[in-house]
Amino acid sequence: MINTGLFPAPAKIYGYLVVLLHQEIAGHSVLLSHIVVTLKRLFLASLWGVAIGMLVGVLMGLSQRIYRFCDPIITLVMPIPGIAMAPLFIVWMGFGDPTIITVGTIAFFFPVAYNASTGIRSIDIHLVRAATIMGARRIGILFHVYFPWAAVYIFTGIKLGLARCWRTIIAVEFIAAANWGLGYMIWDAAEYLRASIVYGGIILLALTFTCIERGLIVPFEKKTIEKWGMVRS
Amino acid sequence: MIEEYRTYLPEAKTVLMKDKLLKYGQFLFPFLVIGFFWEISARIGIINVDTLPAPSMILHEFYSLVWQKGALQRHLVHSLYRLFTGYILAVVVGVVIGTVLGLHRIIREMFSPTLSLLISVPTIAWIPVLLITMGLGGKTVITAIFLGGVFEIIYSTIAGIRSVDRQQINAARIMGVKGLGLFCKVLLPASLVYVMPALRLSIGYCWRALVGGEMLSAMIEWGIGKMIYEARFWNNIKVMFVGLIIIGILGVLLDRTLLKRLEEETLEKWGMLAER
Repeated sequence: MINTGLFPAPAKIYGYLVVLLHQEIAGHSVLLSHIVVTLKRLFLASLWGVAIGMLVGVLMGLSQRIYRFCDPIITLVMPIPGIAMAPLFIVWMGFGDPTIITVGTIAFFFPVAYNASTGIRSIDIHLVRAATIMGARRIGILFHVYFPWAAVYIFTGIKLGLARCWRTIIAVEFIAAANWGLGYMIWDAAEYLRASIVYGGIILLALTFTCIERGLIVPFEKKTIEKWGMVRS
Repeated sequence: MIEEYRTYLPEAKTVLMKDKLLKYGQFLFPFLVIGFFWEISARIGIINVDTLPAPSMILHEFYSLVWQKGALQRHLVHSLYRLFTGYILAVVVGVVIGTVLGLHRIIREMFSPTLSLLISVPTIAWIPVLLITMGLGGKTVITAIFLGGVFEIIYSTIAGIRSVDRQQINAARIMGVKGLGLFCKVLLPASLVYVMPALRLSIGYCWRALVGGEMLSAMIEWGIGKMIYEARFWNNIKVMFVGLIIIGILGVLLDRTLLKRLEEETLEKWGMLAER
């Protein structure tokens, strides 16, 4: 009844994915290699994004002057989608990992920096004064007063950033991946009209990210901010 | 306090103007500083202008795109047309589906697993599917924009409708308000606190989908995303920068002016924001 070339049956999608799973190039399963490559990019981009984002966010939160300088830049650059920046980085860095990871890092950076600075700026100044009076050093105040206070904001930033980074990495893989990655797999299949692999890849995308969220973020939140009683579970 | 006084003082307007100018100045200041140092290092030769063109070169490219070729306007008109078609479709369909799902528990529970699976698919991942099912043209882009915005609106409308006091609906029904009247006079105003932020969020999502869709659809000629994508083939970095800056500015403007105004005209005027 429906065009099976464009809307393949679920069983066929599953069958194609299994074929890809068992197909091997250089001793590794093709499907798993695609997933692992994408996850590796996500991981590297997350590390960089969180590190830089936290640094800038904390500086922005602590100093009014830096905040005033950086806030307009963040406001203007944040709404630019990562995929729009991709051509620029392709020209600068070529196809493949450097471009994808850099654009992913940029995507991760903004929500983290923005939320961290909002969190730190929202601190109750009396707490800082109390800690100062009791003889805490500045670095101690940062770690024991500011960070716990801003933890909810920072986690929100990281959660948003991770989702954004994931989307961006998939998108940039469409146009900038050399030969591996889930995004590349989907795009390549679409170019050859292999609808089953396209649908299968998209289901895999949704599943992978759900796994990351359920497996990493939710337990981590339970152990930290929920345990500290900062959000209602 | 001071705000109140200002409205009575004769020079109040000039003071407010000064405040506004100061705010704009503060917003522009970092860009001027960065632009200045960027320009100087390009002039001295620290930066290679072939890979990172100076601001003056970007401005010149902007000028020639607008006044000599007239290309930028056409790109923008096409992009905005697609954006608003897709966005309005998303709002209408999203509010209707959200209302139906919000009112009927059985239908909602039937569809909610499907919805939560669909919402976790990144919008950009729809594009390959749309490309093979709907072709490589503008239809794909508009559908991608629609899909980018619709889920957020559905979810928020469901939440909004469910937050409406059951008694209010019953009272309205008893008094003979039915169908569309019930929707327009009772349900929509009462759930606006939820729907309005979703409208703001989703235009951002639509904007992203638009850029992605235009870059990936091969058969369209015009569009701001296409402009950036095509610049790659000529290694024309200046055009890319013009495109990126315009995407950034328009993204902010869409959010800050259009929908912020709408929010002010409705929610804030009716004093509903304080209720939350």
